[in-house]
Amino acid sequence: MSHGHDNPILHPEVQMSSTRGYFTGFLISLVLMAAATAMVSSHAFPPFGLLMVITICAAIAIIAQIYFLLHIDVSEHNIWNTVSLVLFIPLFIFTIGLTWWMFSQLYLRTMPMMPGMH
Amino acid sequence: MLVQVPGGWNPLLGRLAIDQIPYTNPILAPLFVAVVIGAVIILGLITYYHKWGYLWKEWLTTVDHKKLGVMYIILGLVMLFRGFIDGLMIRTQQVWANGPQSSGVFGAVHGYLTPFHFGQVYSAHGLIMILLAATPLLVGFMNIIVPLQVGARDMAYPYLNALGLWITAAAVALIMISLFVGDFAHNGWFGYAPIFELQYSPGVGVDYWIWTLELTALGTTLGGINLIATIVKMRAPGMTWFRLPIFTWASLSANIIALTSFPALQVALFLVACDRYLGSHFFTAGFGGNLMLYTNLFWIWGHPEVYFVILPAFGMMSEIFPAFSEKPLFGYITMVAASFAIAGVSWLVWLHHFFTMGAGPDVNSFFSVATMLVGIPTGVKVFNWAFTMYRGRITYTAAMLWAIGALFLLLVGGLTGMMLAIPAINYMVHNSVFVIAHFHSMLLVIVYAIFGSVLFWFPKVFGFKLDEFWAKTMFWLFSAGSVLVFVPMYMLGFMGQTRRLDYVFNTAWHPYLVTEEIGIAVYCLSVAAFFVLLYVSIRDRVKNRVGQDAWGTSRSLEWLTHSPVPFYNFAVTPHVNARDELAWRRHNGINEAQPTQYVDIHMPNNTGVAIYIGALTFVLGFALTWRMWWLCLLSLVAIIALMIVRSWRGDPGYIITAAELEKMEREAMQRQQQVEGHLPHHGGQAVPGGAMAYEGQKVSPLGTPPSSGGDHH
Repeated sequence: MSHGHDNPILHPEVQMSSTRGYFTGFLISLVLMAAATAMVSSHAFPPFGLLMVITICAAIAIIAQIYFLLHIDVSEHNIWNTVSLVLFIPLFIFTIGLTWWMFSQLYLRTMPMMPGMH
Repeated sequence: MLVQVPGGWNPLLGRLAIDQIPYTNPILAPLFVAVVIGAVIILGLITYYHKWGYLWKEWLTTVDHKKLGVMYIILGLVMLFRGFIDGLMIRTQQVWANGPQSSGVFGAVHGYLTPFHFGQVYSAHGLIMILLAATPLLVGFMNIIVPLQVGARDMAYPYLNALGLWITAAAVALIMISLFVGDFAHNGWFGYAPIFELQYSPGVGVDYWIWTLELTALGTTLGGINLIATIVKMRAPGMTWFRLPIFTWASLSANIIALTSFPALQVALFLVACDRYLGSHFFTAGFGGNLMLYTNLFWIWGHPEVYFVILPAFGMMSEIFPAFSEKPLFGYITMVAASFAIAGVSWLVWLHHFFTMGAGPDVNSFFSVATMLVGIPTGVKVFNWAFTMYRGRITYTAAMLWAIGALFLLLVGGLTGMMLAIPAINYMVHNSVFVIAHFHSMLLVIVYAIFGSVLFWFPKVFGFKLDEFWAKTMFWLFSAGSVLVFVPMYMLGFMGQTRRLDYVFNTAWHPYLVTEEIGIAVYCLSVAAFFVLLYVSIRDRVKNRVGQDAWGTSRSLEWLTHSPVPFYNFAVTPHVNARDELAWRRHNGINEAQPTQYVDIHMPNNTGVAIYIGALTFVLGFALTWRMWWLCLLSLVAIIALMIVRSWRGDPGYIITAAELEKMEREAMQRQQQVEGHLPHHGGQAVPGGAMAYEGQKVSPLGTPPSSGGDHH
């Protein structure tokens, strides 16, 4: 496991980065964020529809960022990125899923239903 | 877009004004004078002895993981002291302000602290103890020990390591300056919505709290990345995963938790900052906000965080028990599995901090069961330690006493934790001092493990042992203090005393509160014993010098190099043959074997960039707290510029030639011979087949002078 002092520029994960990739990722995130903000501030849809649309926007933005900015794929030289992805998915499901569950249970007991939620 | 703040604001100084300096406060004003005098004396002494150059070259700009670790530990010990003083103030207020007849001074109706000031004291106590005392102490130990245990020259990213330290130091500076400029938060260390909103906390206290937490979170995340990379990538040849020393395993599991959970804290606090600075409504009751969402987000980080601090402590105990039982650790594989099981379950239990929210029986049952599951891997660990000691040749050194003390505290804290995991019980004792006593038991496990580690690894880092008598005195005083403070606290919790009372109404509790105060006095004695310990040990340092294997029974790789550890750690990276490498070498008679030839070493250069960026992050935090927008922008731009400059220049490092290395090694070996008082025995003949001490080198005993060859440049 001795650590060589080879040129870091030649590392495969560094080689994967390109100006065009970063720019594309940045642009997609920017456009989606602007679109979501515009839709929310202009009340383009009823509340529930709005929630759905901006959630989809967020999901696309996350995927774009994972692909273009973080270069996470399942190739051989990206094995550590894959490991972190595998670690991330259950954490994501736990934190978001359990939060959603506990708050839905809480709202059943404490909140009047928001208009448009059903 | 920015929120209008109550009180004055001007473009130059933001909210800062002369009336924000509490110069009329009867507690803070004298303290400020004392601090100024102390600072003048220290700075004067450094100047008088012409130590600035030394300080700058050897410490402030260093990227050496051992020196950074030592600075982390010093920082942690200073904050442990500050946090202890806060604890002393809390206990004194409660024993004083007990019952309607109790007197009051300094503007307080009862006791000596006004409720607002008392709120700041307990908030600072919690934040400091967890994030600015326990965390830096543990990160410091991981910094020093992990690279040595895996046989690396330094951390994977030495400069990032320095950056982590100085950002943590910036957080410490920020919370310390809140004593004398403005206020600190009064919302508890973890904060509550909506009290931290601007309407209810119009001062700067909450802002100090936000930015202190953000900075320490950033520093710890950077440290976590570094430690993970070091463990994964920097292991010595032969160091397979299941030969990793157990403390390194514990550090790995802890830092995976840190890396994945700290972002949740940063986001939660960033949203609080949005509420306070930009007028958003994430955690307000109206406009679509949700109060409990803050508590939820905070504890998504908060519970993994408590395992982030307990796991390295478990790792420390796992190193101390085998060394002083003269046996290998019992159940190594199960110990590793237990660490990762705890790390995994840590993500599933956070709701138990707010069982009383009202999420209903299904949710509470789920989190109750998940919380109880933690007891299984923890139980495995406790039994493993017990079996390690069973039929071992136990020496009751002070380090061993601290470790055994930690084991008992873990039983008390763990079993009360099991009680609290039951929602029905939790509803009865929620927010009572029973909970306080429980988590103090758990955090004292960490403190015990840390003091045990200080004693255990001190000779490795500094080359001489700490005085056993004073270390044991301190241990017994500290333990007596713990019992006197926390046993009555458990009782008071059952009697119904709630936490954070600035006035205790029930006079029937007075005997218990007095007992706790006596416990605090005993703690004070143990602090004094600690200072005596340091004084006596440094005075007798020549007498207490040690060789490479300070305890004679140590087991892992860090004990293979000289004490104190040379800045390049290992002259030649050792080849690892076994799980307990040093014990294996001792068994085979090659524990003092030295490399036969040296090769050049590539080392990183010192850099001042890390401390500049640390200082600038402090300025940024201070400017954000006081809303001096020009200064925020300036410091932020300066940080980014420094980052770019540094990454452009990079660090070519420098070379220690084999000849220089040989000279330094020879001196170190002579020192060791003086200490051990005997010529090392000849070894190297009876090495089992296939094993080697150093890659591609035959084993030679210590007596043979090594040669640098000359054909390998």
